[in-house]
Amino acid sequence: MGTINSAFGLISGALDADQSALSVVANNVANANTAGYTEEKPDWQENSPITVNGITIGEGVTETGATSQRDRVLEQRLDQQQQLSSASSARLSALNQMQALFTPDSGSTGSKAGDIGSDITSFFDAFSSLESDPTDNALRESVLSAASTLAGDISGTATSLNSQRSAIDQEAAGIAGQVNSLTSSLASLNQQIESTSPDADAGTLEDERQQDLSQLSQLIGINEVTTENNGLEVTTTSGQLLVSDSQSYQLTTGAVDGVTDFLLGGNDITAGLTTGGGELGGYLTARDQDIPNALSSLDQLAYSISTSVNAANNTGTDLDGVTGTVANPLYIFNEPAQVAGSAAAMTVTMTDPNQIAAAAAGAGTGDNSNAIAIANFASQQIVNGQTPTDYYSNFVTTLGSTVSEVQSENTAQTASVTQLQTQNNALSSVNLNDEAAAMSTLETSYQAAAQVFTMLNTIISSALNLGVETAVS
Amino acid sequence: MRLIDAAIGAADGTAGKPACESSSAPELKELVTEATRALARLDVARLEELALSCEALTRIPPPKTDQEREGFVRQARAARSDMAVFARVLEATRSNLKVMERLRDLRLGETEYRERPGSRRGWGRKDP
Repeated sequence: MGTINSAFGLISGALDADQSALSVVANNVANANTAGYTEEKPDWQENSPITVNGITIGEGVTETGATSQRDRVLEQRLDQQQQLSSASSARLSALNQMQALFTPDSGSTGSKAGDIGSDITSFFDAFSSLESDPTDNALRESVLSAASTLAGDISGTATSLNSQRSAIDQEAAGIAGQVNSLTSSLASLNQQIESTSPDADAGTLEDERQQDLSQLSQLIGINEVTTENNGLEVTTTSGQLLVSDSQSYQLTTGAVDGVTDFLLGGNDITAGLTTGGGELGGYLTARDQDIPNALSSLDQLAYSISTSVNAANNTGTDLDGVTGTVANPLYIFNEPAQVAGSAAAMTVTMTDPNQIAAAAAGAGTGDNSNAIAIANFASQQIVNGQTPTDYYSNFVTTLGSTVSEVQSENTAQTASVTQLQTQNNALSSVNLNDEAAAMSTLETSYQAAAQVFTMLNTIISSALNLGVETAVS
Repeated sequence: MRLIDAAIGAADGTAGKPACESSSAPELKELVTEATRALARLDVARLEELALSCEALTRIPPPKTDQEREGFVRQARAARSDMAVFARVLEATRSNLKVMERLRDLRLGETEYRERPGSRRGWGRKDP
């Protein structure tokens, strides 16, 4: 009887186990459309064997629970790529706005930041025109008008860049609150997971934690370390602790030099967050690197043009026969004391066109040699070893290259995130595609793409070689 | 997928245009963009089609007239920056593939040697 009872027990145990497994499958189907839900698979545990007359007989299996089909390594890789992608997206958005400022608008007749290149040419051309008749009032008015347009466009652009910087600063500051909300949630989930599932997958709690990590990765650069009892430690990429098991550490902000700095436990971690990734990293790179670089270039341009033109005008003789002095200088532009801030402050201070010193010192008022000297600045290396137009043109080209570079990075990172999401979906989500098929797709895609790349590279290289003249001996 | 299409479209200036439909005969630039797009989506079928197209292109004899040569050189120059993007996406795919291969190896090892809590079997088993 004992044997028959054991056999019944074995069969009913198997049926119970199947029933439990069916419940897990039903749960998967019910949650197929739940965001962040991870497929669960039943865990089977061997029952203790029965020994009859020295012969050991298996006792079947029992369904002991469900394990989510997640892979933390893949999820972490996805989080890391998401951080890079979010950072480049945020930076690219800021760079595109900046680039739009410097794009010439051929259809517009009004002053525009994008016209600085042509403004520089027009200003020095106005001096060239004055050479023909240095006493002509209309030509003198034209010089001051061109100077006003140039100064207005440079200072307007600097103002726009400063406004953009302030707007980005506000966006960045707002992220701190979102980060704090997520780290608090992570600490709470850690506590629940550690108390309910210290040595097993925590199912939906784990899903919620992963969703929080994913959102946090879009905001800032983080590192994740699994701790004892299924806990999790989260740090910034530069190592500052954000979450340690059930404890979260709040990010605070403070104004330093007119912008928001980020503090954790009293330490300023802004620099680490800038290079760390996530939206915040992208915004901070634009705020602390891209925009200041552009402003610095404009400052240099404004400073060099203003000081060179002012100095030359001050040494000449104006239409009233006056030469500038230290006490009463003949300055066209306001004289900047230093490079920093020159662009925003650039303006035309001269109001009387007669004060334009077209004549050389000591020469008659009909002389034009000083006007020629100032007009020649257009082709002289007065801005950091370059002519004004070359300097401005190189600056715009460098900005364009940076935009292009970040665009390429962003495209590759977005593609990488898309691919990883596909792989993760195949593994973690309720999906009929199995992992092997997803892996095979990735492998085959890579191989086919590598083949396409090699062939295209060969075609393009040979085409470019056709354009190169080769010497025939 | 819209995100990646937008990113690639923004990179090559074809945002909003269907791939390979901006002119009657697709240029090299469009081929490169389409390959990048297909790789981002892991569209094996499209990539294999593109591989066949490129193979056919490699068999075309070099241009003979100056006009043909100029056109070919112009296309190649226009496609250069898109090739840089394609190279980056290819590199990112290679990294992802490495991660997935390591994961597969890890999981295969886990299947063979896995010891579940409470399990009486496995490599760490201690006989009573």
